[in-house]
Amino acid sequence: MHSGTVRPQAGDMIEVSHLVKRHGQKVAVRGVSFTARAGRVTGFLGPNGAGKSSTLRILLGLDSADSGTALIGGKPYRAWRNPLRTVGSLLEGSGAHPSRTARGHLSWVAASNGISRTRVPEVLDLVGLGDIGRKRVGGFSLGMNQRLGLATALLGEPEVLVLDEPVNGLDPHGIRWLREFLRSFAADGRTVLLSSHLMTELASTADDLVVINNGSIVHSGTTAEVSEGHASLEDAFFALTGGEDR
Amino acid sequence: MRHLSAELRKLVSLRASLVAAGLCFVAAPAIAALNGNSLRTRLAAGDTSLLDHRAVAEGGFEAVMFAVIAGIVLGVVIMSSEYTANAGDVGGGRQILATLTSVPRRGSLLVAKAGALTLVTVLLSSATIFTGIAVGQALLGQFGRSPWQVVGELGWRLPGAVFYCVCTALIAFAVTTITRSGVVPLIVLIVNGSLVSVSLLLSKVTSWAKFLPDAAGMPLFARGTAFTEQLPPVVGAIVLTAWTVLGLVVGVVTFVRRDA
Repeated sequence: MHSGTVRPQAGDMIEVSHLVKRHGQKVAVRGVSFTARAGRVTGFLGPNGAGKSSTLRILLGLDSADSGTALIGGKPYRAWRNPLRTVGSLLEGSGAHPSRTARGHLSWVAASNGISRTRVPEVLDLVGLGDIGRKRVGGFSLGMNQRLGLATALLGEPEVLVLDEPVNGLDPHGIRWLREFLRSFAADGRTVLLSSHLMTELASTADDLVVINNGSIVHSGTTAEVSEGHASLEDAFFALTGGEDR
Repeated sequence: MRHLSAELRKLVSLRASLVAAGLCFVAAPAIAALNGNSLRTRLAAGDTSLLDHRAVAEGGFEAVMFAVIAGIVLGVVIMSSEYTANAGDVGGGRQILATLTSVPRRGSLLVAKAGALTLVTVLLSSATIFTGIAVGQALLGQFGRSPWQVVGELGWRLPGAVFYCVCTALIAFAVTTITRSGVVPLIVLIVNGSLVSVSLLLSKVTSWAKFLPDAAGMPLFARGTAFTEQLPPVVGAIVLTAWTVLGLVVGVVTFVRRDA
């Protein structure tokens, strides 16, 4: 049986090279290259519409690139047999069908990747949804939906987390919990790629930053390097993105 | 097997599956009972005119039409539920992203979905036909037959009906894989299957209409339909299978090439 997990010693867990994505006439991603290393939280920062989600969708095998490659653990996402045991992801909330309960959603996800059903109550407790696992998702708030999405991402005890705007809708308590959780996740030698348009959030969570604007990477390095020479990460961001505030 | 088990869980936990089960286990026996009751009354009064175009053994077999509609409902929602968006103020997420990040090999995903749909449709349609016949024959009173006699008289038309339900469900699934939204396929296929058959209308114009999926499949189980010209059952089964395979191939090619 093919193993669904990798335990890298060190190095680049996520490698994106020369990625190009067009939507009709519009070029959403223009030759994007960056890496995310194990043991670190990598922030993917850019204004809305900069190409963050397009890049992450290709990385997760949801969309096809026009050219370039996006690898996790050395291979494309679509090549993983039980991907959730290596990569946990969050895009557009939980994706749970409104008529299903939180438990029902997590149960089928677990079944699809051969993950033990005992993980379902564990991850619900972990994200603070332990009491409402039997509630239908249609009645969930944005914050609850995001928490369920995080529970889904953590279900397979992955080595890599890819999260698109995960703090959307979380209350201050939830944001703080997530920040601490991601820090300790990376401290265990695992990899986090976290996209956001919230600079203060990334400044306090990320070790490394990749800044994207208009579909191109405008800077990458440690968080300290990116904000070097600027009063704050926010100033650095506006300097790097040409002051556009979309 | 993992993918099949996940797809089965997803399918049976949808509300639409409850609707399909309601059609099969409430509506279908109710209609079978009404028809059985009216046939018995007329037979008891010595009126055998209804038997000109149907046999007593067919009492309750009309339940199959509910199984056909239930199969269409399941075939549509197994795919359309993937694209049902959550409300915009809670992120507007769709299940397809969770599905494709769980099972990124799209061919495997569609095979699992088709497998789950086939399994559920076979069980549901078999149970519906059996229940319909049991109820229909019971209501025929002294004119009714035992289930074994009915099975003997209907013979291959019973598996023929199940096969028709499965093919129709798979065609509904293939069409919805292409359209993503379930509204249009659901309305068109159900109306076509119950109220106004496009194939029947076309059959008035051209004899080629007998090669359309529903017209070709009808002879597998139905007698005395409104069609003036029909294919022999075996040819009909081959033509219906060909339509189903064609639909699935177009569905797979579209789905594999498309961004989520």
